[in-house]
Order: sequence, then structure tokens, then C-alpha cells
Amino acid sequence: MASTIFSASKYSDSLTVVGISICTAIICESISWLLIYRTTSYKTLRSSIDKASKKLESMKTTSNPNLIAKKSSKTKKIDRFESSLKESNRDLSLFKFKSGAVVALVLFVVFGLLNSLFEGKAVAKLPFVPVRIIQKMSHRGLHGHDATDCSMAFLYFLCSISIRTNLQKFLGFSPPRGAPGGGLFPMPDPKTS
Amino acid sequence: MKEGKSAKLNHQQQQQQQQQHQNGHLSPFKFAKLVDPEASWDKDQLGDVLHWIRQVVAIVCGLLSGAIPLVGGIWIVVFLAISSAIIYGYYAIILKVDEEDFGGHGALLQEGLFASVTLFLLAWILVYSLAHF
Repeated sequence: MASTIFSASKYSDSLTVVGISICTAIICESISWLLIYRTTSYKTLRSSIDKASKKLESMKTTSNPNLIAKKSSKTKKIDRFESSLKESNRDLSLFKFKSGAVVALVLFVVFGLLNSLFEGKAVAKLPFVPVRIIQKMSHRGLHGHDATDCSMAFLYFLCSISIRTNLQKFLGFSPPRGAPGGGLFPMPDPKTS
Repeated sequence: MKEGKSAKLNHQQQQQQQQQHQNGHLSPFKFAKLVDPEASWDKDQLGDVLHWIRQVVAIVCGLLSGAIPLVGGIWIVVFLAISSAIIYGYYAIILKVDEEDFGGHGALLQEGLFASVTLFLLAWILVYSLAHF
């Protein structure tokens, strides 16, 4: 009965976009697992980054201000750990970059497919009027001036970010917290997507 | 005796954390720990819990917003305020963690923020489009 209701809806194509996004996310993570996550190199790098981050944190937080003589040697140790951490992060990024090309190709093909299927068609209705800069994506390729019409590109963007970030998190594939690229807007790991 | 017990507990917790990192995902997780203010938290564990709480709040708010329906960009701001208040209330009042041990309020409040906003928008837009048109 639910499928009958949804197929009768004017915007049932949105479910197609979501479904394809979910499948794409699963395929991309499977490829990433095959090419990256199951390899010994990745596991070693990841482990060394985690250890170095934790060691660095504990060294920075446990400091005895009375021991002035030992402070300079501790600072040197911290610097050494930080540079080692940077190096490991760089190696990790490089490692993922090489394998990420395959995933990028899959995403390119899927986006092209969705574009050909839904070009010029509003797949959803936005319950708000987006700001101008977002409208460039949300109203991409659509006719008319109704800013609340949602194009496939915007819906696919929302699906990609939300589904893939959470899938990576669930599977334990998200980048370690010591790695760069986190902050306020952590995207799904770009090297694997 | 008490020190020996806590040392043993720390050792067990460390072993569990090592296994968690080796496996790359959460090992069997005692849900009682989620509401225990006496429990000790690893930075990664707490970050993960806050992330998932935000995602659940995003889905619930998105579904409700689409069903009612709520219309207007202001509800995005309202969602941000509600989800941040829930996260803050959880780690500061229920868990009573010292935020300085985990990178400050900013680090804790930003866990899963962007993903939750996109998930909220996705749920809101889908329910609104499918249920009201």
C-alpha cells in the first residue's frame, strides 16, 4: 500500500535518486575496502596515526610547569611526534589518492546516468527557498522560476553527503581524528569518494 | 584494594580500546555506559556517540518537519539549535564530562554536525515532497 501511495506521488522520482545514491555508496565503499582498507599498508598507517595522535595529546596535556629543565626536551619530543604524524597523514592521503580514481569514475558515471534520467525535471519540492548560491545547484537545469523546485543534483548532493558519511562512520572507514580534513564540515573521505 | 580494582578496570578498558582500533569499528558496547556519569570515555568513543545522537535527532526532526509540514528556512536554524542543545545537555549534564579533556565545547558540538544537517534536509524534503504533493 505504501509503494502505491509513493508511486502516485508527483515526486516519487526522489525515491529513485535516494535508492541509487544508497547503492552507489555501498558500491564505492566496497571498492574502497577492496583497494584500500583491507591492505596491510593502510592498517599500519592508520594504526601509527592513531598512536601518534594519542601520544601527542597525552604529552600536551600532562605537563609539569615546575620541571623547567625537562621542558625543552619535551618540546622537542612533541615536535618530533607532530612531524611524524604529518608524514603519516601525507602518506595516507597519497595512498588513498591512487585508489580513489576508480571510485571517482563510478561516481562520475552514476551522476551522468542520473542527469540523463532526470534532466529538466524537478524530483522534489523544497520546503524553503534556498539562498542564491544554493539555488545554482538546487534549480540546476530546471525550467521556470520557482525556487522551491528541487533538481536531481541537489538531492543527490544531500544523499551523497549524508549517506556516505554515515556509512563510512558505521563501517569504521572514516578518517582518524588525528588526520586533517575534519573540522566543522567534515566531508565523506574525499580520497575514497 | 580500591586502587588495584581501578587499575584492573583501566587495563581492561585499554584492551577493549585496542581491539576496537584493530577492528576498525565499535566492539561490543555496553549501552549502560551511555547514561553513566561515572564512566570513563575515550575521545573517539565519545565522538562517535555524539555523532550518532545527532544523526538520530536529524532523522526524527526531518520526519516531523516534513509531516506537519514546517515551511521556511528558519526551521534549519531551529534544528541546529535543538540538536546542539541536546548534544550539550547530554555530554555536560548527563555524562558530566570535562570538555577540556576532549578538545573543548567546539570539538564536541561539531561531531557529526554537517552530516546531520544534510540528513535533516534530506528527510524533511523527502517527507514534504512525498506526503504533501
